[in-house]
Amino acid sequence: MPELASLETGSANSAGGEASLTAAIGVLHRLRDAVRGQVIGRDEMIELAIIALTADGHVLLEDFPGSGKTTLAKAIGEAIGDGQHEKDNDPGREAAHFIAPFRRIQFTPDLLPSDVTGAPIFDSASNAFHFRHGPVFAHVLLADEINRTSPKVQSAMLEAMGEKQVTVDNATYPLDALFFVIATQNPLDLVGTYPLPVPQLDRFLFKITMAHIDRQAELEVLDTWRDRRDNSGGAPVVSRNEILAARATIDREVAIADAIKSTLVDISRNLRADERVLQGNSTRSLVLMLPALQAAAALRGRDFVSAEDIELLLPRVLGHRLELTPGVADLGRILHDNMREPLERLAKSTLA
Amino acid sequence: MQDKASARIRAHPRPAERLERTAPALARAAIIAGSLWLLSLSLTVATGSIAAVAGCVAACLLAKLHENNPLLRQLRAVFIMLAAVALAMLGVILAGWIAGRGLVAALFEPIAAFHLAEAIKWLCFSFALVGAMRILAQRSSVGGIVEVLLVASGFTVVLSAHRNGMINRPFFLGDFALSRGLDPATVLLALGCGAVLLLAALLLVEDNRRRLPYHFALFALLCLSLVGYVRSFGLPTPQMTDDLGLTGNSAQARENPFHDGENNTENKQAPVAVAVFRDDYEPAGGAYYFREGAYSQWNGYMLDFTSHPGMDRDLIPAPGAQARETVGGAGRKPVTTTIGTLVPHRSPFGLDTPVALAPAPNPNPLRFKRTWDAHSLVPQFDLNALLGMAAGNPAWPAEVREEYLRLPDDPRYGELAREITGGLRPQYAADPFAQAWAIKAHLDRNGIYSLANEHAYAEDPAASFLFGDLTGYCMHFAFASTYMLRSIGIPARVGIGYSVPAANRAGGSSLLIQAIHGHAWPEIYFAGHGWVIVDPAPQQTLVDMTTDPQNELQQLLGDMLRGDAAFEEFLAEQAGFAIDWRLARNAMLSLLAALVLAGYAVKLYRLWIPALAGRPAQHRLSYRAALDRLAAVGIRRRFGESREAFARRVGALAPALQALTAAHLAHALGGHRPGPANTGSLAGEDWRGMRRKVGAEIRAGTSAGKRLLAMLDPFSWLRAK
Repeated sequence: MPELASLETGSANSAGGEASLTAAIGVLHRLRDAVRGQVIGRDEMIELAIIALTADGHVLLEDFPGSGKTTLAKAIGEAIGDGQHEKDNDPGREAAHFIAPFRRIQFTPDLLPSDVTGAPIFDSASNAFHFRHGPVFAHVLLADEINRTSPKVQSAMLEAMGEKQVTVDNATYPLDALFFVIATQNPLDLVGTYPLPVPQLDRFLFKITMAHIDRQAELEVLDTWRDRRDNSGGAPVVSRNEILAARATIDREVAIADAIKSTLVDISRNLRADERVLQGNSTRSLVLMLPALQAAAALRGRDFVSAEDIELLLPRVLGHRLELTPGVADLGRILHDNMREPLERLAKSTLA
Repeated sequence: MQDKASARIRAHPRPAERLERTAPALARAAIIAGSLWLLSLSLTVATGSIAAVAGCVAACLLAKLHENNPLLRQLRAVFIMLAAVALAMLGVILAGWIAGRGLVAALFEPIAAFHLAEAIKWLCFSFALVGAMRILAQRSSVGGIVEVLLVASGFTVVLSAHRNGMINRPFFLGDFALSRGLDPATVLLALGCGAVLLLAALLLVEDNRRRLPYHFALFALLCLSLVGYVRSFGLPTPQMTDDLGLTGNSAQARENPFHDGENNTENKQAPVAVAVFRDDYEPAGGAYYFREGAYSQWNGYMLDFTSHPGMDRDLIPAPGAQARETVGGAGRKPVTTTIGTLVPHRSPFGLDTPVALAPAPNPNPLRFKRTWDAHSLVPQFDLNALLGMAAGNPAWPAEVREEYLRLPDDPRYGELAREITGGLRPQYAADPFAQAWAIKAHLDRNGIYSLANEHAYAEDPAASFLFGDLTGYCMHFAFASTYMLRSIGIPARVGIGYSVPAANRAGGSSLLIQAIHGHAWPEIYFAGHGWVIVDPAPQQTLVDMTTDPQNELQQLLGDMLRGDAAFEEFLAEQAGFAIDWRLARNAMLSLLAALVLAGYAVKLYRLWIPALAGRPAQHRLSYRAALDRLAAVGIRRRFGESREAFARRVGALAPALQALTAAHLAHALGGHRPGPANTGSLAGEDWRGMRRKVGAEIRAGTSAGKRLLAMLDPFSWLRAK
């Protein structure tokens, strides 16, 4: 991937759109670099998280405890400034002081929906009910072990994720436009859990299954944990509004060629025809994938979506949306088999 | 729902898939059946061959169908072998019962019973053999070797007949090849190589064993070079046909023409030469004699080729020369024959008595080693005319006559000769021919023809034979006769060459001389008639000296040697469906040259067009040119690999490709707008520069040899994608 150190200093480009795209790419890179300073050995996960954030999606991590999920979520949350100085220009943000940069909910079987969303509380001073904002009112929310709580709480959480609002006692409270959830589930310890069904999994843009970080990175974590503990909570490097602006710019400026779209459709059709797949992916998953592809391209400094982006994102976007035939487990193989031929056609199309 | 339905439909194999699964099995069945058919051809009748093919195909298909049968897989290999042997034996027993009992023969007719028995025998045999082989081949890779060996042996057995010169077998192949001017041996060898290669390829494909494709390529190369060798140098000729076999005229047996135990009738059918008669001639004695030389001078141990200038003046010293002395006379007739040897042969020979040998044009150097015209004066006189003739040439000096009368210092020869001739009627008692005939008759009656005898290492093998068990072969009879004739004052010598039964000619004009026909015989000189062959023919023989009639081969070789209109007509008759090989070859070569030229043209075009094209097409053309150069040095994108991943992969060799790829993709996928990645150092997109940089990096990173190959390859651009 080309390093774009010189991007900020900018070249003498006349097109305004291009200048703003350069700025948007700069925002993503600043965010990435800041998080990289806090989370070591998880570069790919950081990139995917930033892509999901930029594409306005949420991430489900299948991971084991102590692998740095909280550190990641916290680092992202803290790298995003509240944007207080811009608040005056933003009339839709009167509730902004309820919004925390980062929250974490540990899901347990006895959790109640109000523990997530918040609840009206009787204030004896004003003799009235006041809504007490729950932990979902945050920029970045870490929903730990989401499969361990009851379906009722899960549905409250998923409404928040899907609609960007919570409804309590018929009153609807909007969440921040930046609302970004990193949910986790333990892939092994399944006793007493309520596994998320496929339609609910559909709310997550990515499902990322991760391996342990490599030896060198693990050593580095041990070497630098003291510094990072002391320096945590560094100054925000990007503001909320900058990210929202970057979202808009990337959506507008990063081109998706027709060949890319046909590749996506061809891969989907291949998957649906595959005997090993019981139910293929939805059309919506492809629609959701487009902004993610644009974000991935921008993060790599490109203004067009390329085969690389598909290779990176498609397994993460489609992996949890496919229902495999009973007895078939090798998802990676299935995806690989069905991607190769459309990708080859895409590569050839550029010379045609 | 529709997806599911289509998925369920796809679970059943489509016709193409079914073909893909069964085609290798069918091809293998065809190959093995073909080789079994070839093997069975010489062992059974047509019914048996058909049954063998049927059994083979059935075994192949059944083995394929029950490939995954758990019962079959659990069975021990030993039991499978035993079952196969039992089945084969059952077939033999059943066939014996059918053919042996009169029941079936009575119900139908004897010939039907015989065919039925053959069919059952071969069906069981081939089913058992191929079935066991297939099951073993499916189990282990060693089993596959047995299979390849069987196929190879099927062709080798047929080819081994060729080794003895039976170039016309099998007939359908021989005719096909000969009518097109090809050597049948090469055709059969090519077929065999092709079958073995195909079978090896099938084993490679089906069993998915880790044999490397280039192992197979090497194997193919070996087979091809074998065919090429045979095409250029012919088949290796067995050395033993060089000598005259039974006459002992070979280098190592020079001192001792009697070599026991070395003679056998194994290669008796091997053709040695073919003679074409230009004149009408039918021998009176029932055999054609071709004289090659004679043992006439006593060397202290036995008779040998003469070194005396006065002796054997009728023999021709070298081809092209003439006999120094000829005896014409009323009893002899000039006959010309053309002779072509099929194996290397020491000295030329001619029909008795050759007077001149003249080299003749060789119509087929691949087939005939040497060809010559032999002009002979053949004897036509009645043997009775020889009665009363004086033996020996009055013109001989005394010392020559003396030489022709020398024999071992053994009184028994004279005693026996006088005893035999003593029984002649008084009026013939002193007549040389009558005496010679009496000696011949004695040997005819009492001698036993055999190739296994123990006389060779006796001091005088002829004495050991004559005064021993009288068991020996032509050499013994010839020497013994000659010594006896000499002992009673008749000048005689041992003639060597070939003697072919007159019946072998079968009415045609050509005569096939085979190894078995090598011969030696006693000859007597009669004044006015020259050397006359008086050949003993023992009535008892321990050796089967008969040969199968080789009429087709005889006629075929004769036609080839004659090179005359008949053969040309035969070729012309076949020309309707013959292929003009020269034209076909030239067409192929031209096509190949045109293809190569077109390849170079496209290659150069794709390499140079970016320099001439305008900017809109540059991103495509420049990138393609770079890909072409990489493909030429063997670096190409893998199937399904993205362009970026490919650029990263070759980053070590050509880092500039990454920039070129990024620029190319920005245009191809990015709506023709220079992307941020292409700003800065790449602003304005210096296509020419990027292209050249990639080229320079490839040059710097590859060896000169590889670059030379890359330059020469006309189709390197086909690999760029």
